[in-house]
Amino acid sequence: MVVIVDYGVGNLMAIQNIIRKVGGDSVVTSEPEIIAKAQKLILPGVGSFGYCAQQLKNRNLIPVLEQEVLLKKKLVLGLCVGAQLMTSGSEESPEKGLGWVDAKTVKFNTAIVPIVPHMGWCDVHFKKQLPLSKGFEEGARFYFVHSYHFVFDRPEEVLATAHYGYDFACAFQKENILGAQFHPEKSHRFGMKLFENFLEA
Amino acid sequence: MGLPAEIDQGDAKISPLNAYRMCSVTVMDTTVPGITFNEMGESNFCQYYQDLAQRTILRDPAILKSDYDEAIQTIKHEGRKKPYDCILGISGGMDSTYLAWLAKKEGLRPLLVHFDNGWNSELAVKNIENIVNILGFDLHTFVMDWEEFRDLQRSYFTASVVDVEVPTDQLIFAALNRIAYQNNIKYILAGNNVVCESINPDGWVYKDKLDLVNLRDIHAAYGKLKLRKLPRLGIIQRYFYEAVAGILTVNLLDLITYNKASVKKLIEKELNWRDYGGKHYESVFTRFYQGYYLPKKFNIDKRKAHLSNLILSGQMTREEALTILQTPTYLEKDQQADLRYVIKKLGFSEAEWKTIMQKPRIEHASFKTENDFSTRAFYFVFRSAMYIPVRLLRMVGILSRVKQIGSRW
Amino acid sequence: MKRVRVIPVIMINNGRAVITQKFSKPIYVGDPINSIKILNDKEVDELVILDITDKKIQKKPDFELIAKMASESFMPLAYGGHVTEIADAEILLKCGIEKISFNRALFTHPEMVKELSYRVGKQSIVASIDVNKNLVGTYQIKTRNGTETVGSDIERILHDVLELGVGEIFLNAIYRDGTMEGYDEKILKRVTSAVNVPVIACGGAATTADFLKAVKEGGASAVAAGAMFFFKGGFNSVLVNYPDQKKLLSEFYTHLG
Repeated sequence: MVVIVDYGVGNLMAIQNIIRKVGGDSVVTSEPEIIAKAQKLILPGVGSFGYCAQQLKNRNLIPVLEQEVLLKKKLVLGLCVGAQLMTSGSEESPEKGLGWVDAKTVKFNTAIVPIVPHMGWCDVHFKKQLPLSKGFEEGARFYFVHSYHFVFDRPEEVLATAHYGYDFACAFQKENILGAQFHPEKSHRFGMKLFENFLEA
Repeated sequence: MGLPAEIDQGDAKISPLNAYRMCSVTVMDTTVPGITFNEMGESNFCQYYQDLAQRTILRDPAILKSDYDEAIQTIKHEGRKKPYDCILGISGGMDSTYLAWLAKKEGLRPLLVHFDNGWNSELAVKNIENIVNILGFDLHTFVMDWEEFRDLQRSYFTASVVDVEVPTDQLIFAALNRIAYQNNIKYILAGNNVVCESINPDGWVYKDKLDLVNLRDIHAAYGKLKLRKLPRLGIIQRYFYEAVAGILTVNLLDLITYNKASVKKLIEKELNWRDYGGKHYESVFTRFYQGYYLPKKFNIDKRKAHLSNLILSGQMTREEALTILQTPTYLEKDQQADLRYVIKKLGFSEAEWKTIMQKPRIEHASFKTENDFSTRAFYFVFRSAMYIPVRLLRMVGILSRVKQIGSRW
Repeated sequence: MKRVRVIPVIMINNGRAVITQKFSKPIYVGDPINSIKILNDKEVDELVILDITDKKIQKKPDFELIAKMASESFMPLAYGGHVTEIADAEILLKCGIEKISFNRALFTHPEMVKELSYRVGKQSIVASIDVNKNLVGTYQIKTRNGTETVGSDIERILHDVLELGVGEIFLNAIYRDGTMEGYDEKILKRVTSAVNVPVIACGGAATTADFLKAVKEGGASAVAAGAMFFFKGGFNSVLVNYPDQKKLLSEFYTHLG
């Protein structure tokens, strides 16, 4: 069973909808007991980093998430701000991130790209053939909407890159921890493929 | 052959009335109401098809050829001073796509008419777009008022009658006639053909597809809206279109050699046509209706009729047909997705849908029909009253009689 | 390769999908749910849904219809129409809408827009700006389906609107709506020069060449169209269509530089 963590932010219906579309089942919950029973977790998120971090903290979900992800090593997929939360922090706000991966979240360099947020479809180049990235050929495109992006200390944890003014990391994998800056739930068959991979992984 | 052929051996313990049995030539079987078998084990559909084919496609090739040439010439001649010489109903399916290609080849100038009942698939619209782009014909889309059409389809489901396709079939024909009349066009090219779709068992479809009385009575019983925007095609309108306006339907495909496999190859190559994996599956609704609703609720697998038709016209072997029947109508995953979509779009709740699936079959004839005495009597009086005026108008040349072409079933 | 979003716009009037001409004369184009399903199967970049039903008939968004449309969409969705309360906006986001587009509320309920932007992030807030030309050719910003004038000081109005926390501008040229005469690059250029958020061009598109001009000459970040994606041929015959990737690549993306 896939659990979509509900902490008051994110397009949960859309994620549930696409999982059903690829033949999977999911539960949306904010109950720690149900989260603890999950096989796989999805951590969504849209909007501001600070607001998301606060909501996660206020709902007292961090202990159960850390227990399931860091100790029990359950597969977790962070989406957009949900993935940014997994880094140490963001230039967007003083709130701390979860620090699950050795990366930080920084603002787009507006000297190079004057128009932010970066909004639209972008070709995504997967660097590794891991369970999540299998079966993607060149030409796989995903929908992005963000003003901040990850910067990784260790390039081997970067799973995929995209280009907006310059190349940036748009997906990562560190052991059981996965994250994507783009919105697979809004990326047609490419997103479906990614969720299929996640369900099979 | 996974089907219980041993019952055919005449096992004395099984009552012959209840025994499962399949035609020895086709794949029609005892799930078809009223099926009968002769001493050779052939079902009545074999004879039906032979009779029909003899009257139509199996006539002397020279006669067929001259009928075909004459049809093309007549259509051209009749429309020589008009922007269009015929109407061609286009669904994006195989038959109408080929017909459009044929019309182009023969130098006809059809107005393509597409009937949008709210259930188009992406494949269907893409196929139509390709036809329009490649053949350069004009397109007119008749967009059904979805609110009213949904109300009509909902009533057919709630009524628990078998033929939920009547609203579409009837209204397409009504729209074609109306547009023909508005554009002063005398001929409607139809893709109906003996080789692919002449086997339609009673009990699997409602034979009188154009029965407006039946449609209105079913809607009166279960509909919620007033039907204001639907095109009508009752007996009066039919009389008007045919006898007064002189609009005729031509089944052009029955005058040529129509081979499904080679036609498919041709339109794929010439018109970038894409297959949608099943007869009439170009509509999401029809795919669901034939692939889910009919089999699950009425135990009707329409593929048996389509495949038998192809066996009888020599385009498929019985073995091939039996192999196909072993597979599901379409992917279970797609069936579930279609089911969710259909009930959402029709606005049924899960509970309402469950009730519909469990409700026993109600016959179309338990509603009013055009065959009721009062309607027939009315029509008789009406036609008698019209007889002399129409004859007079024809004599003085105000009404012209359009030349009948092709063969009727 | 650079991609620019190509966005179909679907207008809803009393639950019916319509295409308008210069914001009036709505032509019925069928069931919105099926239209969206077809567009989804065509893998369109994004979709804008605008409910133009008269305020006298409908006070709130039609949540049931929106949820049905959203469940057929595996692409980003923007919705505009009848949103004047934060609670309504939050329901919409829960239904599966990504972005909420505001037109009149930008001027009548600016505090609400601002608060919403703070809560959900400005990437979910679209300012839908309708422009028209008056008799002497002066550009004017309009609201209420083009019937009310906000003013002609475009730059100042846009500046105020951006202050509310808007992530994107949807610029609709009323005088080009449904005409298929091409975008008005002049007003586009004026707006894109005045703001630092993406601007979606709308009103008048008929071909991929129009898209290219909107980006190159008008500075648009995305292009939108209604009639072009719903009509085929000269008689406004309804047939949902959308250029495939091959066509977009050869006629649009490769020329973006």
